[in-house]
This record gives sequence, C-alpha cells and structure tokens, in this order.
Amino acid sequence: MEKTRWFWVWVITSLFFRLVLIYFPENLNLGFRPEVATPLTSLRRLAEGYWLKQSSMSPYAGSMYHGSPMLLSILGPLTVKRIEGQPSHLMCSLLFVVADLVTAMLIRATGQTLQLAYSQSLRSLNLVSLLESSETLSAGDIAALVYLWNPLTIITCVGSSTSPIENLLIVLSLYGACLRIAPLAAFGWVLAMHLSLYPVILIIPVILLLGYGPDAPPRKLFLQKNSSENGNSPSCHGNYPCNEVTSQEKLPLHPFLWRPVMHFMLWASFWLFYVFVLCSISLKQHGGLLEMLKRTHGFILTMEDLSPNIGVLWYFFAEVFDFFRDFFLIVFHINILFMILPLAIRLKHRPCFLAFVYIAISSMLKSYPSVGDSALYLGILGLFINELAEMKFSFFLFCGYIGVSLLSPVMHNLWIWRGTGNANFYFATAIAYACLQIILVVESVGAMLNHDRMLRKNSTVKL
Amino acid sequence: MAIKARAGWLKLDSFSSCKVILFLILISIHLCELNAWSPSAMHTNNWAILVCTSRFWFNYRHMANTLSLYRTVKRLGIPDDRIILMLADDMACNARNKYPAQVFNNENHRLNLYGDNVEVDYRGYEVTVENFLRVLTGRHETAVPRSKRLLSDEGSHILLYMTGHGGDEFLKFQDSEELQSHDLADAVKQMKQKRRFKELLIMVDTCQAATLFSQLHSPGVLAIGSSMKGENSYSHHLDSDVGVSVVDRFTFYTLAFFERLNMYNNASLSSLFNSYNPSLLMSTAYYRTDLYKRPLDKVPVTDFFGSVMETIHTDSAYRGFSVKGTDKAEIKAPLNLKASQAERRALSAYHQDQISDFNKEVCSFHCIWSTLHKTVVEKIEDADTFVNYGLVVIIPLVAASTWLWR
Repeated sequence: MEKTRWFWVWVITSLFFRLVLIYFPENLNLGFRPEVATPLTSLRRLAEGYWLKQSSMSPYAGSMYHGSPMLLSILGPLTVKRIEGQPSHLMCSLLFVVADLVTAMLIRATGQTLQLAYSQSLRSLNLVSLLESSETLSAGDIAALVYLWNPLTIITCVGSSTSPIENLLIVLSLYGACLRIAPLAAFGWVLAMHLSLYPVILIIPVILLLGYGPDAPPRKLFLQKNSSENGNSPSCHGNYPCNEVTSQEKLPLHPFLWRPVMHFMLWASFWLFYVFVLCSISLKQHGGLLEMLKRTHGFILTMEDLSPNIGVLWYFFAEVFDFFRDFFLIVFHINILFMILPLAIRLKHRPCFLAFVYIAISSMLKSYPSVGDSALYLGILGLFINELAEMKFSFFLFCGYIGVSLLSPVMHNLWIWRGTGNANFYFATAIAYACLQIILVVESVGAMLNHDRMLRKNSTVKL
Repeated sequence: MAIKARAGWLKLDSFSSCKVILFLILISIHLCELNAWSPSAMHTNNWAILVCTSRFWFNYRHMANTLSLYRTVKRLGIPDDRIILMLADDMACNARNKYPAQVFNNENHRLNLYGDNVEVDYRGYEVTVENFLRVLTGRHETAVPRSKRLLSDEGSHILLYMTGHGGDEFLKFQDSEELQSHDLADAVKQMKQKRRFKELLIMVDTCQAATLFSQLHSPGVLAIGSSMKGENSYSHHLDSDVGVSVVDRFTFYTLAFFERLNMYNNASLSSLFNSYNPSLLMSTAYYRTDLYKRPLDKVPVTDFFGSVMETIHTDSAYRGFSVKGTDKAEIKAPLNLKASQAERRALSAYHQDQISDFNKEVCSFHCIWSTLHKTVVEKIEDADTFVNYGLVVIIPLVAASTWLWR
C-alpha cells in the first residue's frame, strides 16, 4: 500500500512538472532543436500542413508536412486554437501530457502482467526460492516511473513533437498483445505503423506474444522438467501407463496458439482498411492514397530531407553520389531487417524483450530518429529490470546518455549558430549516441541470455 | 370637352412619358458611366516604373533625374520590389566619371544618389522599347525573373516616370529606336483591360513631353509633362567639376517640392502641379486630367510617390485566404455542370472498363478498390466532417471491441 501511494505521488509530481514546463516562457525553443523535432514529428510542420489543408491545397505541398492526414484532423485544429494569455500550442501540449500519462499506465499494466507470468513460470519450475531470495522490484511501477521521469520523455512531451502519440500506440499494441486482446493490439500496431513506418517490424513480437503469451523462461526448461519428471516417476517404467501421474505434474508448455494470431490478422486488416478509407477520403482532392503513401512512407524510405538529427544517416547521404544512393538506402534499411530473424529465433520465448530490442535497433538506424524514440525504449527497458540486474556497463551507459544529451545541443550551437564548429562536431555526438545504443542493445541481450542460463543452471541443479 | 380634356391629358401623358423615358435613359447612362468608372477594387499597393532612356556621358542628367526620383520614391515608402528601375547606361561607373560610383544631381554634391542600396532592374542594353512595353503589359518570356516584372493588380497605383530625349509624339530609346505616343497609349489600354492598375500617373521630362501622352484614352490615367508641343525642356545647371549638366529643370523643381515632404505629409497633387513656375522651368508644365476622375486637391502625393498603407491590427491567427465556404463552393460547383461531368464520368467509366477487361485476373483487389472508391468516396461531399466523424468513432469502437473481447 505504501509503495502504491508513493508511486502515485511520483506520477502526479511528474505531470505537475510537465505542466510547469509548458507554462514556462519558451526560452528553450525545444521545437526548433533537431534532436526533438524531426521532419516527421515536428508540430510546426503539422501546423503548416493544417494551414495548407485549410487553404484547399494538399497538406503535403512544399514538402513541409510528412505525417498522416488523420493527425492533421486531430491535432490541426488544436494548433490553431489560441487562448488569450496562454503559451502557443497549449492544447497540443496538454494532449501530449495526457498521452504520456496513458502510456505510463499501460507500461505499468504490462509490467504487472509480465511479472505475474514470470512468477508463475518460476513457481512451476520450482524456483520459488529464487523469487524470494532476490528482492524483486515491481517492474511495472519502476518502468512507468522511469518513463515519466526520463528527461528525454519530458523534453519530447514539452517540445512540440508528435512522438508521444507514436509511443502511446506502440505501448498500446504491446499491452494488447500481452493481455491477448487482439483488437487492441491490432489497432495499436496498425496506427503505429501508419504514423511512422518502423513499428511494422513489431508484428513479430506481437504475434509471438499472442501465440506464446508473455515472457517466460525458455521452453527447453519446461520440456526438461517434464521429461525428468517422467523419467523419475516409478510408475512409468515398463508398459504401465503413466498418464495419471504425469498429468498431475504436467507443466504448462505454452503451445503456440493460432487462434489469437488469426484474430489479430483479421482485426489488423480491418483497422488498416478503416485507416486507408479515412485517409483516401481526407485526401480525395489532392492525390488520394498513393500521394499519401509517397509523401509519408516514401519520404521515410527515400530519406529526402537531409537536415541534421541525432541519427547517422544524414551525414552519409549528404555526400553519397546519386548513382549509389538507392543502393545505400537499401543497405541501411536492410541493416534493420537483417537483425529481425536471428533475434526472433533466439528470443522467441521472450517476445516483450524482443520488442524492446527491435525498438532500440530501429530507433538507432531509422531515417529520422529523435529523443522520443529513446524515451520509449528506455521506458520499456525498465520492465526487465529484474532480469537485467546484472547488466554490465550500466553506469557507463547512464553517464554516456547524460553526456550525449548535454553535448549534442552544444555541438549543434557551435556548428550552426556560432560557426566555430562544423558538421563533424555534431556528427561525433551522433556517432557516440549510436555507439551507446549498440552497447545497450548488446549488453541487455547478453544479460537476458545470461539470466536464462542462470535459470537453467538453477533448475537443473534442483533436479 | 371631356374627350378634348382626355386627349389633352393623353398628349400631356405621352409628352410626360417621353420625358420620363428620356430621364430614365439619362439615368441609366449615368449609372453605366458610374459603373464603368466606379472602382471596384480598393487601392492596395503602389508601384513605380522609372525609365531613363538615354545613353552616353553627356546625358548624365537623365540618369541623375531617374535616380533622384528613385531615391525620393524609396524615401517615401515604396520598397525595391515594387520599383522597376530602368537605366540605359552606367554613369556611376563610367570611365569618364571623376567620382567613381557616385552620381550627383546638384553641384554642391550634397547627395550621392548611387548609394549602397540601388537596385537596377533593367540596365544598359536591356532598356529597349520592347522590354518597356513588355513590362507595362506584363507579357514576358517565361524565364524573366519576378524582379523584372510589373506584378501589379487592380488595386495598384502606378507611377511611370520617363526621362530622356523626346520630340513630337515620340521618346528616343538608346539613340537607336523610338517609343511613339500611340504605342504608349495602346500599352496603357492593354493594361487597363487586364486590370493591371487602378490609377496611373505618367510623368515625362523630355522636350515636347506633353505630346507623348496626347493619344491616351484609358480612364484612371493622369499625365504631366515638362513641356508642351514646340517647347524644349532645359537642364538646370552645369556642374563644372563633373563636367556635364547634372539635373533637368522639371525634375529639379519636382525634387525641391518633395525634399520638403516626409512620409506622413498629405500634400496634394494639385499643390505639386501648381508648384511649377513656367518662368523658372523655361517651359510650360502641362498636365491632363480629363481621364482622371478624382479632384487633384483631394489626392495626396503619397498615393503615387510614396506608399502609406493603412494597417489593421488583429489578434487572431492568420486564417489564410480561403474559408470553408469557398471550399464547399469548389466541391459543389461541378455538380452544376452535370453534362460535362456526366461526360467525364462516362469517359472515365469507359476507360475503367477497358482497363478492367484487360487485366481482369490480375487486379481483382484493385478493381474492388476502385469501384468502392467510385461509389463510396465520390458520393461524399464534405470530406472533412466525414473524416472527423470517422476519427471520433474509432475510440468507442476500440473500447467496445476490447471490452467484448474480454
């Protein structure tokens, strides 16, 4: 009880802090910083797209706005509405605060489900002592608080970027998949994919979540346990049937359930159809669905805008020759796709963690990354805090993130505003940031696999 | 008696009816005149076209005339992108100029007219009759940049100042060709028909200047010339340091009038025109107002020579130039043209049939999509509210499906 009370106190304090920052005079100009607002997520571009739409022009004219027409209908009127005496974009910022709160609550609920499933599977493996020996923290609460109090999340929420909505949709799809609610998972996945292209790779963890259920130790452990149980029980020698004995102690094998997956596919196609119909009606006079796909997903894939950001693609594509441009675009995007299959094979028993790894990889290698993406995966990282307790380099990563967050605006200022630096200064921080993310991914996957090994060792020792 | 009286009444009646009919005709003519004359557009912007047509060093004063007027017009508020400055030769950087990059219009050298923000749009050999008429009528090649175009509209007041050597019904360009008065009148007539100006003030400083605008017949044009037919216009004084005459009399006295003004004076055009003294000018400054309907003492000089706009301060956000209503109008208008649209629909349906017959097996989804699109989407008129409804419906749909699933 005490814990939950403190939890809610922290949550409300973080919301309050966000509101204070929104009302603060806009000296920070967060909406102008490339780390926060990319061509895909910038709210100023959305306002411009909305104005173009209101002047009966295509919202994609002039290559300013590259998002979904549905976001235009939702957020557009909010950007225009101005209340006397209040800062601009107040309504949008309030909406983003609400989105952050809902995301945190969903992360918490997902964490609770994961923890429940984890303790259940540990109990069934007779590893209850592990549960009691180590002080297991409530992963859901911690992850929600990490998400709310992460300075990167606060900057994204306050800094006029539409990332909070994308993060909300991704977490919604993971939550729906954990609880095996196919329509919710399908809705979150379809909309997240519609807003930014990269969550399409999350279909694999979502399907695995729907099929296998939440994260659990590897199936081998359960199979071993079953077979050893079978081997040890005396009544199974010879031809005597040993069904009744084994059926009592049969461990949940989590077979892959196809029904939820089928339902998910049906609901996903329904939501996709719905979204496409709405978008084509919305853009009826300005080119329709093809225009939208060309300008949103096509823009993401072809990397048309080379303005600097916290990623690594802009620097490279500023100097690549046109002849090789397509080739290198394919290389960079396949870089993400390459890692999908091996990771899926290795981590199929832990689909939520697989989703975290996918999000981290895609936010590192996507065309226009921003700190909103890292806010998401750092929040989801908090869900696995019990399994990743022995992760190496955690302090180094922590300091690294702080260092990059502080240095990156400085280098940008030196380069653009003072003219005493050049693009290499800024790109150095981008490379450092990418290295940190790589280390984070590698170490967390390593720590998770070590944890599985530790479980296996303990379960075999028990036997 | 009664018949006579009635006949008398009838006669009176016919006579009075004739009077009534005449009266009505007169009124309608007057109204038509009014309609033809009454400005439908508000005065929204000012433009200035300043043309110097002479080349060679000894025509320094024409360049100085034009640059002085350029300075005045800029000082009184017209920005560079509303000024088209045509200088036929370069005096400032001429090899014979003792003061390089400086042009003076007075021997006291008080003012350097060629400061650091002079934007010349047509220079040197680009100043030709053809280019001048193209500027006036707006008929350019596609590659001509916007800074060289007269982008005026029906709310513009245009000042057209021309200086150089002229004669009876002509103006000499570049010592090789002439602009004739009927060419100018035709160009102005084209401008009026294309609604490129609301009011036009033509100011000409050449010999026999008044003949240049003798053929004008478009309404809304006011013209003043430095001399009448048979008279010459003279230069004001010789600058012995520079070696040539540096300003013409007419422009000198025009500038003397304007140097006393700032942007917010509302001196009227009649005071400008009355300030010219024939004995000082050594010619008669003649102006014609027969095409210009406003009384000259009510027209401030800044209507042509400056740019003083009334600003309306508003707190609301910029709404753009098309409101929802016009959007609806755009969608509804095609419905009126039923025949053409039916034709178009028939044609497109025909094409669709052809295409669908061609790849029947391949694009079944595409065909379904296109038919759905045709039937559903084209019936929907107000797209935005439909999309908003669709978005609003999503949330209860998700909530219901989630709740039912549990």
